[in-house]
Amino acid sequence: MSPSLSFFDIHKHHGERTILAVKVLHLRPGEIIHLSGRNGAGKTTLLKIIAGLQAPDRALIGEGNARITWQRAVTRLRRQVVYLHQRPFMFDASVADNLGYGLRATGVARHAIGARVREALDKAGLACMAQRRARTLSGGEQQRLALARAWVLRPRVLLLDEPTANMDAQSRQQTWELLGSILNDELSMVVTSHEASGPGVRGCQRLHLDQGRLSPAVATGARPDNIIAWPMDTQPYCETGH
Amino acid sequence: MESLSDASRRAFELLLSGNAELWGIIGISFSVSLRAIAIATPPALLLAFVLVYTRFPGRRLMLSVFNTLMAVPAVVVGLSLYLLLSRSGPLGDLRLLFTQTAMVIGQIVLSFPILVAMGHSAMAAADQRLWETALTLGAGRTRAMLTLLHEVRYGLLIAILAGFGRIIAEIGTSMMVGGNILHHTRNIPTAIALETSKGAFAQGIALGMVLLLLAFALNMLLSVFQQHEAPAT
Repeated sequence: MSPSLSFFDIHKHHGERTILAVKVLHLRPGEIIHLSGRNGAGKTTLLKIIAGLQAPDRALIGEGNARITWQRAVTRLRRQVVYLHQRPFMFDASVADNLGYGLRATGVARHAIGARVREALDKAGLACMAQRRARTLSGGEQQRLALARAWVLRPRVLLLDEPTANMDAQSRQQTWELLGSILNDELSMVVTSHEASGPGVRGCQRLHLDQGRLSPAVATGARPDNIIAWPMDTQPYCETGH
Repeated sequence: MESLSDASRRAFELLLSGNAELWGIIGISFSVSLRAIAIATPPALLLAFVLVYTRFPGRRLMLSVFNTLMAVPAVVVGLSLYLLLSRSGPLGDLRLLFTQTAMVIGQIVLSFPILVAMGHSAMAAADQRLWETALTLGAGRTRAMLTLLHEVRYGLLIAILAGFGRIIAEIGTSMMVGGNILHHTRNIPTAIALETSKGAFAQGIALGMVLLLLAFALNMLLSVFQQHEAPAT
């Protein structure tokens, strides 16, 4: 199993205003973190810093005993972490080409790409739409495609920024099922929601971000009894307690 | 002096008869302008990309300068180049004055700001998620840049067509640094000016028709590309 990926002293300011002041965040393989917080609490900024897409004022990345600065780790972060926007961006290409983009970008052998794309199409239930323009898919289908496009890269960390916002119940259900099916012992996931009692997995780590500071969700008013059950929560991955 | 209708009829006859001199002039026009736009486009779009995706002191000023230069009179560019390339000028030893190369240089100078400014607008209007998605899926900066160029290709084609439309019809630079030499540097606009001054309206009108036809074709292409510029959802 891969070691944890840890972040220390993540600081981000905008002028005098503190956007983020996170002391420590551990991303453990096989674990889901449900990150809640109001709009503007800094959730997206935190995810983008973890993904290597937005530079913090300062942050240290730790793996095992080693700690290096975010700037030195950024290339590695981009290789190991995939960030999914709340509304995923689809390239102006077919569903299959969208799925293969990351594989081509990361230099996966041409003969292997086809097989992995087909596997991802099946996983996301999009096999019948492989040649459709990705932008013609519905919101829920695009979200599933974005998840499959990330999953096919076998990332170490998957960051999902409010993945089911504005979805109908059926699309939400399909997205949760897909999320549940792609989690494994090598992958850690962070899922954000602006609701403290938003969708999550019973037993998984629940954190709350308020004014840039991270704390356990329950301490900031989350209502555990109101947690929406993860459709796949009968699977053991969330109960292993890493 | 012949009537407009007579001149127009003779202009059609000239075009359809395959008049060698007339078609030679049209060939020079396209050859010079296509070379100019082909040379100017890659560095201009690269600069536009840098202006969108990097932050450095003077970036906004640079952008304002390119926006201003979009409207620079061709004759001013021609005059400046003439002074540089004339025998007593700093680049006089290159002996480029009154050559097609000088015309190409002039047209590069004219089209470059249009390509930078319009290319910048097209790239700046691209969805921010595009760049982040490319990076997070493992693309390096070069691949991410190529992805961006592909995604905004219709906007960039519009910039290129606008730049080409500007230089194919310009007269100031071509006249001053080309010299309007028959079979050598005479292009459509300089030929129209010359033939009109001689009272030979038929050839002027024939060449004008070519320019009008070209303008129409460019506009049709622009509308086609603008229709394709559907935003990502």
